[in-house]
Amino acid sequence: MSVEDILAAENELTHLLGAQQAVVLSTRIRLARNLEGLPFPGWAKIPQRKEIADQCVGALEALPKFRRAHVVRMSELGDRDRAVLVERHLVSKELAAGKSGAAVISRDQTCSVMVNEEDHLRIQVVKAGWHLRGTWHIAEQLDDALGGSLKLAFSDRLGFLTACPTNVGTGLRASAMVHLPGLCLAGHMDKVSRALNQDGLAVRGWLGEGTEAAGNVFQISNQQTLGLSEEAILKHLGGWIKNVVEQEWNARRKLAQEEGEKFVDRLSRSLGLLRSARLLTSSEAMNMLSHLRLACDMGCLPEERRHLVDRLMIEGQPAHVQARAGQELDSDGRDRRRAAVVREALKDFPDLVPPSA
Amino acid sequence: MSQPLKCSLCEEAATVHLSQVVHGKVTKVHLCEACAQKGGAMDPAVFQLADALTTASPAPTLICPQCGFTDIDFRKRGRLGCPSCWETFGDVLGGLLRKVQHEPSHVGRTPAGASPVGRLRRRLDDARREMEKAITGEDYEVAARLRDEIAVIEQQLATS
Ligand SMILES: [Zn+2]
Ligand SMILES: [Zn+2]
Repeated sequence: MSVEDILAAENELTHLLGAQQAVVLSTRIRLARNLEGLPFPGWAKIPQRKEIADQCVGALEALPKFRRAHVVRMSELGDRDRAVLVERHLVSKELAAGKSGAAVISRDQTCSVMVNEEDHLRIQVVKAGWHLRGTWHIAEQLDDALGGSLKLAFSDRLGFLTACPTNVGTGLRASAMVHLPGLCLAGHMDKVSRALNQDGLAVRGWLGEGTEAAGNVFQISNQQTLGLSEEAILKHLGGWIKNVVEQEWNARRKLAQEEGEKFVDRLSRSLGLLRSARLLTSSEAMNMLSHLRLACDMGCLPEERRHLVDRLMIEGQPAHVQARAGQELDSDGRDRRRAAVVREALKDFPDLVPPSA
Repeated sequence: MSQPLKCSLCEEAATVHLSQVVHGKVTKVHLCEACAQKGGAMDPAVFQLADALTTASPAPTLICPQCGFTDIDFRKRGRLGCPSCWETFGDVLGGLLRKVQHEPSHVGRTPAGASPVGRLRRRLDDARREMEKAITGEDYEVAARLRDEIAVIEQQLATS
């Protein structure tokens, strides 16, 4: 079964294949593309959606990047498997909710293309850490290759034509997943978020639109897709991310300095709680793992432990917990299981020391 | 008591009332529970879109010859029917695009192997930017070369 393979495989986000960093968890590029002459998925009839899926999946499978790729069709997956893919950000909630969607996911899980989401094609490339250029470069190559084999809907004046006016033009959504415990603890997140909004960037929670920012993790992305070149969009986002990362470090250092022992105490308590809890909800786990990640960044815990914390953040999500357990679990069952997994993973974590960063 | 507000996206009773500052402008949007959950909630672009939709006319006036989509469908869904809809609804969308996107025309990439015009536009955009940079950096030789290139591209675009 394909989703089990995806879970079991070593991959970019859970196995430290990419460079791992404080603050920026991952960089993501999304390109919206459509075939000429066919209705957008939301307006297409079932046979047309099938035709779209066949054309797109066929073209994708022929690309070298997708050699031995996972091809997953939503109609063939159970609820839990679809939820796992959503939790991994490999497909969107919208794609998972429909029956005619499919996704082609590269072996290393850095590239995933959603077919029949809001647009015919949603190309996504993700890299661990902050790698805007590298991530963009892969997306650009994929786009060129697809443009060579498929006739894409494009107008000279409006660029790539999309189902929604908020994506037309470049169809580009560039984003960074950032971990901002310092700004959150200092109570500055609203201010930062407003500044980003005012300059045309969106700030969302961990799982995308409309979700809460569990674990102090936010997704920052561009809004405008028309009238700006890809270069300009990336530069604008890049400048802001650099700024936010700086502000985050300032907030962290200030907190550590002003709070002294209280700072380490707070993070230590989270480790203690995670190590002894018997029932752990998903948001509780996220918020305390966020403290552990901060501790790794600040030198309170060895830095090489950070990737394990990142992995627990991803694998502590509800569908992942159930998939690992190999069975459906009720809410208590999930919390019990999650607590057990976290306890086991953290059992040989050392005690925290005062910050060095 | 005042009349209950309707959801800007689907006309159900609105229970979520939000205002957001987007590009320095305050936008108010009223959404029903479902639409707010569905994603509008944190996306300023959706707010602007919803705002523009509420001011659209109530009777269907346009229909896409390719896919049968009407402007009423657009008002309900906020999404278009097919790529050709962009031509059919061009005028309606023009105003909307200025609201949502601020700039009316594309300056980015083109599909591989297509649209020489798009490529020219892109080069023109780059050349203009490079020229500005050259002038700021007082590199007048480079600026002059770029000025000539820009003239040639503009000529090509005018005749294509
Ligand atoms: Zn609604
Ligand atoms: Zn149409």
